[in-house]
Amino acid sequence: MEFPLIFWSVVLWMIAWGVIGGVVTPRVFLRKDMDISNAPLAGAFVGAASGPLGLIPLWHFAPQTTNRWVLLSAVGTVLILVTAFAVADPDNVCVTNGDLVASQITNGLVMGTIYGLMAMGLTLIFSILRVVNFAHGEFYMIGGMMVYYVSAVWLPGTPPVVAVLAACAITFVIGGLFERIFLTPMYDGRVERPIEYAVLVTFGLAFFLQYFVQALAGASPVKARRFFDFPIIRLPSAEDPWLIKTSKANLTLFDTVSISNPRFTAAVIAILVLLVLLFFLYRTWYGKALRAVSQDRQAAAVTGIDPHRMNMLAFALGGMLAGLSGAVLVQAFSWVPQVGMLPALRSFVIVVLGGLGSLPGAFVGGLIVGLVEAAGTGCIPDPQRAASYIPAYGMIILTLTLLLKPTGLFGRKE
Amino acid sequence: MRPLKRTTAIALGVFAFSAAPALAIDCPIKLGGIAPLSAPGSVTGGEAQRDAMRIAVEEINAAGGVLGCQVELVVGDTEGLPEKGTALFEKLIGQDNVAAIGGGYHSSVGIAAKEVAHDKGVPVVFASTWNDQITASKLPEVFRVAPLSSEASAIYWKFAAGVPGTEKVVIVTENTDYGIPAAEETQKGLESAGLAATTFAVDIGTQDFSGIVQRVKAENPNVIIVLLTGEASLNFEQQAAENGIGPGDLPFVCDIIAAESASYWQNVPDGNYCFVGQFGLPEALYNDAAKAFAAKYKERTGKEAVESYAIEAFDSIGVLAAAIEKAGSTEGKDIIAALETIEHDGALGKVSFPYGQGNDTGAAGVEDKFWHQYLDPALMIFQYQEEGQKAGNAPIVFPDTYKTGEPQYVNQ
Amino acid sequence: MRRQIPAIAGSLALGFLAAFPLVYGAADYDYIMHLWITAFFYAILASSWALLAGYAGQFSFGHMAFMALGAYTTGLFNNYFYLTSAATGTCFEIPFGSWYFVVLDPIGISATPFSCLDAAREAWAGNVVVKKPSLWFGILFGILVGGLFGWLIGRLVLRLRAAYLALFTLGFSEILRSVLSAELNITRGQAGLELDPLFPNGITIFGAVFDATDKLPTYYVMFALFLACIAIMLALERSRFGLFVRSLREDEDAAAALGVHTVRYKVLVFVVTSMIAAAAGAVQAHYIGIITPNILIILQMALVVAMAVVGGLESIIAAAVGAMVLYFLLEFLRNSFTIGDVTVDMTTWRLVFFGALVMLTLRFQRNGLLYPLIESCTRSGVAEETVAKRVAGASASEDAEAAK
Repeated sequence: MEFPLIFWSVVLWMIAWGVIGGVVTPRVFLRKDMDISNAPLAGAFVGAASGPLGLIPLWHFAPQTTNRWVLLSAVGTVLILVTAFAVADPDNVCVTNGDLVASQITNGLVMGTIYGLMAMGLTLIFSILRVVNFAHGEFYMIGGMMVYYVSAVWLPGTPPVVAVLAACAITFVIGGLFERIFLTPMYDGRVERPIEYAVLVTFGLAFFLQYFVQALAGASPVKARRFFDFPIIRLPSAEDPWLIKTSKANLTLFDTVSISNPRFTAAVIAILVLLVLLFFLYRTWYGKALRAVSQDRQAAAVTGIDPHRMNMLAFALGGMLAGLSGAVLVQAFSWVPQVGMLPALRSFVIVVLGGLGSLPGAFVGGLIVGLVEAAGTGCIPDPQRAASYIPAYGMIILTLTLLLKPTGLFGRKE
Repeated sequence: MRPLKRTTAIALGVFAFSAAPALAIDCPIKLGGIAPLSAPGSVTGGEAQRDAMRIAVEEINAAGGVLGCQVELVVGDTEGLPEKGTALFEKLIGQDNVAAIGGGYHSSVGIAAKEVAHDKGVPVVFASTWNDQITASKLPEVFRVAPLSSEASAIYWKFAAGVPGTEKVVIVTENTDYGIPAAEETQKGLESAGLAATTFAVDIGTQDFSGIVQRVKAENPNVIIVLLTGEASLNFEQQAAENGIGPGDLPFVCDIIAAESASYWQNVPDGNYCFVGQFGLPEALYNDAAKAFAAKYKERTGKEAVESYAIEAFDSIGVLAAAIEKAGSTEGKDIIAALETIEHDGALGKVSFPYGQGNDTGAAGVEDKFWHQYLDPALMIFQYQEEGQKAGNAPIVFPDTYKTGEPQYVNQ
Repeated sequence: MRRQIPAIAGSLALGFLAAFPLVYGAADYDYIMHLWITAFFYAILASSWALLAGYAGQFSFGHMAFMALGAYTTGLFNNYFYLTSAATGTCFEIPFGSWYFVVLDPIGISATPFSCLDAAREAWAGNVVVKKPSLWFGILFGILVGGLFGWLIGRLVLRLRAAYLALFTLGFSEILRSVLSAELNITRGQAGLELDPLFPNGITIFGAVFDATDKLPTYYVMFALFLACIAIMLALERSRFGLFVRSLREDEDAAAALGVHTVRYKVLVFVVTSMIAAAAGAVQAHYIGIITPNILIILQMALVVAMAVVGGLESIIAAAVGAMVLYFLLEFLRNSFTIGDVTVDMTTWRLVFFGALVMLTLRFQRNGLLYPLIESCTRSGVAEETVAKRVAGASASEDAEAAK
């Protein structure tokens, strides 16, 4: 399946005008003495979506670029890309097979929810400590391993809830201990360059944890049993179950959308955890204290919150969220000690896209990355490339974000 | 080059490092055993091979060793990387002074490392590197007890072509030098049998296959053949099952890793009715050597069955020890000469390498890939027919020579 | 006297390394030589990373990507480019004087392919000269490509600091790895791209003949590259460049305010370190003879980071020595051992210890384990001198007072 020239011409055209828009717009705005924080992004999207037709009026009138503007041009860009794709490759499965598209989108959303949960841990840590935890993937891996060991090796027959709680506990403790032992010198100026120190020391932690688990547990793939089997449901009738049809491991909606049991369970748990997290952050004293510290350290300290304890809580909690994502996914994927790397990279992408330190950003970013990955694996004509480039899709988003809007979608200005 | 070094050493007389000349036979006799023991290699396979090779050496020593010497196994980690493989060969030969090398899992490692073995004149018996090129390059030092990739592919496509009502086959393979040629050969075979076939090649690092599974589903295949190694294989099979195109939904051929039944059922709980390729005799047809080995191996590892790459690793060491005994020497060329004429009663059966320097493939009118190749590694397909079934109890369904039960085709 | 210790130790070590291949003669000669060559390779990477991260404060996790760019550029050059004395008519080709510069079609991953050049050879019936351009051009080309990408990445990360920079460069490295393993028609992906040895036809040095697989010539090539890289980096460190680059790390805004052209120096330090990494990658690739996308997995980057950290991030020499020490440690720790009934499988445990060592070094000995040693020698003299001067000054003034 060769892509015709037309698609690549459209893509090239869009990239060219996107670059022009992204580079020139901030200069034009700067000359007019305007806020340029949104300008590269808006310029790039307007350029990509409409070429000179949109850019020239944009430069001439130089309107205040609101988020709505950016969103509209972004949607326009995506629509044009999709149209060009459909025209260029009319036989592509993504164009001809509606069921496939619906299933891919659903899967993207389901996985996106879980990605979002994991990324929230990373962003929580960043919002309090200003540290990117490079060992985030290892917390994810340990969460999954713990569920497997508790429910299948140490105490066979343990209810999944207990195993998941055990995973939360262990990752919480590891996170807290690590913060106490290794990150405390950062706070009182004993380290010259604290952020770089944190990058290196968490990188070291990742290395250590990964091989420590491998040395203890071996490298054979393991997997926890499904938390529960779907009851067999046929609606509206057993003969023609067009509404809902389930088997033990699968749920089919409207005869088109197919969701596998472990992912469904994982996504439901992820959403519940999100709700609990929101409640914790907005309704409890500790949660409010965390948010206060993330907004203004000094002011929070004045009101009697000990920022050092909040550091520990944030790191432990962030690690726990990663562990929890692993704990709910170990029933969906086979688990080996190296399993954390891709999810960690993906979390980095998500938090940068959403804005480092922003919780809603992490959730929205998770959904976007989930959808982009689904589109990439589902639609790229050559399946070999489609599957091999999975890590790259996120990285392309990361690069674009860093170039066009380094603060991310919901980021605060530093 | 050596003489120069020696003379300069004497001339300069700076540091006197001992350069021990090789004696006729040094006890203990050292054999190298290579296996991928850390990522990115396939550690599961590597650890199985390591255990199998250790058992082989224990058995040899329990039976009195070789040429009156005890045998020592030096295990090396290839990490699944060709460059580490070449370095490892240099270490085993240069540092550990091994007489010969056995084991091996990844084809890319085998391809790269065989040149070192050739350079140093040290014989190597590869255990599970399938790529045809390894023997087709006709190096005097390189032997293999594993099946040829092209022969293994034949069993898959012949089986798939025999499934009643098959029109369309999807092959899911890995983008490696094992997966790509194997998929090409399988696809060619299927097309020669008049069937439509589509190949999906994926990266072995992939964990989430849902996008690919949906695409495979959209092709509406009658049969799916999986040519993936490691946990990618298990991940794909389970995720296919969860999306309604698994072994329980249509005839589905799993890769050899599924033969490790305990791990298979843990990772693919919905994998009943999978057809699994097996290389090496089925447990029911084991000879005494294989039975003894299997008992020890299961006890040692706690596994329910013996994977084919473990048996191959076991025999690669066994045949080397036998050749050294026969040659009466640990010199590379003597061992090679012995290997070319050997008939060793291994766990795989009677291990021999008919084509070699004495009987060239060209002169014998066979393809070069049969050079120093063990000719009849038994190739067959068995089928899990009950959930949680042990591989040893599952019936062999193909080919007819080994058949112990009828295949059950789901959805027919 | 103590101040001279590092210099004396350094010259002794260099002398030892220069003479080593000639005087060492044990049976494991090839293996030990292999270890040294690889140790030089890691030393170049670790020290250039120390310049980039420790010195200029640019914590890039993409260093191995530049190494891989060097390796794959020379690898592709080595596999795809030929010079022929007649037109092939089947390949893509550019006339070049009386020669034709021929580019082959993608090799693919299956067994030995039939290339367009093979087709042309059949037609020529053997009277046309076909040769490969010298692989040194490939290596040079690899270094240039490394530098070009270093420039690009340097430009792109100008506005990024600390964590963002680390994430971005990690991303770059992962994208490159995906591309190399997905475009397997060209790069052969996981199957590995094979390269000619550095001296494909052997080499004669002072009348001694070495064939292509002998380690001695490669050892000296790598050793020379190592010395050259260290020399370049030390020269840079001691020039105004070093001063400016250091000011970037300490306080970029202040440096800019004081008139340091921050953009230029930031990009320049990326270009220089990338070219050094690419050079190491290109030479190592020819030495090993086969490269796969796994040369840039994160573990490899982690190793280089660990070597630099344990050696000492603040010093190029300390990082280089740290790399060599750790590399040898890692190799020799491979052997498993048994305590009682428990067999400790060192294959994995050595990496566990390694990770712990990195964390503990960072936590308790931030300047690395080797750097303080060097520093204590060089600095101790400085301290004594200062004291001596002060004493002298004080007594001089006392004398002066007494004279009054």
